[in-house]
Amino acid sequence: MSEFESRQSGDANSGNAPGLRNGVIIDDTFAEAFPMKATRVLITAHNETWARHAAVSMTGFATSVIACGCEAGIERALATDETPDGRPGVAVLLFAMSGKELAKQLERRVGQCVLTCPTTAIYAGLDEGEGIALGRNLRFFGDGWQISKMIDGVRYWRVPVMDGEFVAQETTAVVKAVGGGNLLLLARDTDSGLAGAEAAVEAMRAVPGVIMPFPGGVVRSGSKIGSKYASLPASTNEAFCPALTPLAKHSELDADTRCVMEIVIDGLTEAGVSAAMRAGIEAIVGRGAAAGVTRISAGNYGGKLGPFHFHLHKLLGGERTA
Amino acid sequence: MSATRGWSLRLRAQPDFRVDLGAVRPATVAGMAAADIAGIQVRHGNEMVALGELFDIAEVACEKPELRLEGDLSRFDAIGRGLDGGVLRIDGAVGDRLGLSMRAGEIRVLGRAGQLAGCEMAGGLIEIEGDVGDFAAGALPGSMDGMRGGTLVVNGDVGARCADRMRRGTLIIRGDAGDFLASRMVAGTVALAGRAGAHCGCGMRRGTLVFAGTAPAAPSTFVATHQDIVVFWTLLRRSLAYHGGPFAALPVRAPRRLVGDLAVDGKGEWLLPHTD
Repeated sequence: MSEFESRQSGDANSGNAPGLRNGVIIDDTFAEAFPMKATRVLITAHNETWARHAAVSMTGFATSVIACGCEAGIERALATDETPDGRPGVAVLLFAMSGKELAKQLERRVGQCVLTCPTTAIYAGLDEGEGIALGRNLRFFGDGWQISKMIDGVRYWRVPVMDGEFVAQETTAVVKAVGGGNLLLLARDTDSGLAGAEAAVEAMRAVPGVIMPFPGGVVRSGSKIGSKYASLPASTNEAFCPALTPLAKHSELDADTRCVMEIVIDGLTEAGVSAAMRAGIEAIVGRGAAAGVTRISAGNYGGKLGPFHFHLHKLLGGERTA
Repeated sequence: MSATRGWSLRLRAQPDFRVDLGAVRPATVAGMAAADIAGIQVRHGNEMVALGELFDIAEVACEKPELRLEGDLSRFDAIGRGLDGGVLRIDGAVGDRLGLSMRAGEIRVLGRAGQLAGCEMAGGLIEIEGDVGDFAAGALPGSMDGMRGGTLVVNGDVGARCADRMRRGTLIIRGDAGDFLASRMVAGTVALAGRAGAHCGCGMRRGTLVFAGTAPAAPSTFVATHQDIVVFWTLLRRSLAYHGGPFAALPVRAPRRLVGDLAVDGKGEWLLPHTD
């Protein structure tokens, strides 16, 4: 039995085996995730278009903490009855490796991307947790004209700007979170790999409290820790590169796998990441192997680095992850 | 929630002199026996008198520390002074300095209150069904700051100099206000359903005045601004709507806004939701 084959569990010819669902092979492996610090902010605007402009800008260049400082994404759109000011809005999640870095990234991104965006306002999206500055320091843009307002025990800042005033809640809460949940989708070709990844991401976006921070929710440059070059903290994951199947010392792919897409998930809770991974797997399984994604795997570091292990088979069995 | 012990104090007869009741708080008496409560000494004019000589004391069941005062207590001052929790219910009128410097808890008065109600309060809730005398939510003589937090709700009229030097918190007035409402106001929110007297907002540095009823004539030291404040207005309007009546009927569209008093800092604002 090859190393690749040994990763499958159950009878591959049985549709009920844990390792095979609707023809899609589910590896007996796990995604390894890490503790992060996270916050949710609510951006509102005159209409959803402008709220989304601000959110997209704010969550730009926030795919990986490796070089972006934080990972961020749009969680979902908010209806008018879900926002503090009754306007359409967008919920944004930000994740960083420390509360200090999160506060730094939040202030920069809100200052440059939300404060600047017409008609926007910003509020905390979490009630409980250590507070970090949201509008507390941005208020100084008002150059002394800013106004503080306490409403029902919450402090807001009103900063005069050219379209009226920018309203920002003073602080938002930081909570412990989970970053780095992932799925690897092994496909026959690019078309089927993309289609499968898009379907999985769409299903995962329905799960509250999670984001998929990479472009479109999908990353094609899955990485491993370290590099032959000392200055690089991460480098290409050759075990999942089709180009290196016959060359790398260790490859996870067979000759029929010509495209691999990864979906990275950050969540406010371990349960949220589990639910998102499950939704993604079920989306792929629902399409079946005939749609082109023939195998689902996950990235880990042998379980030695991250305390959160999301076992794919346990997810499918509905069991809690360890 | 399990029941705890509260006390009811029914006034026997009007005292000859004014009584300082500031030392009698719900949390203070919650763990005491009736005899101990009756022995609490309070100032009566120039002398001290036992509480038991003024009130009939009875135990009541309640869910959190509660003290109920019954009778016309208009000669009793400083009720709820420094209150930091629990509930104080007064079935009648109260004297001056109700809730002076209170930090938390609730005071509910079914009658009227004297001067300096909610003076320098920093937290909690006071709700007064009747009228209130002068200097409500204000500062003690010589003090720089008036009300510093919490919520004061007056369902009747308020006297002169209400919210003088007010620094933080919310004041809801369902009736009319006397002269010099929000004079020298530093910050906070005052919402008025009735009419305001003369010199409203005189020396107002910051803070917000909402006129849910008839707006007064603007002094020359207040000027209109025309920016879109619908976001802030929605936050404030939703908060005020909790108080019902005219505050629940505030229009959704952003109100007319005046800023002043330009004679001082000029960062105070009047919001006139019913004025075009």
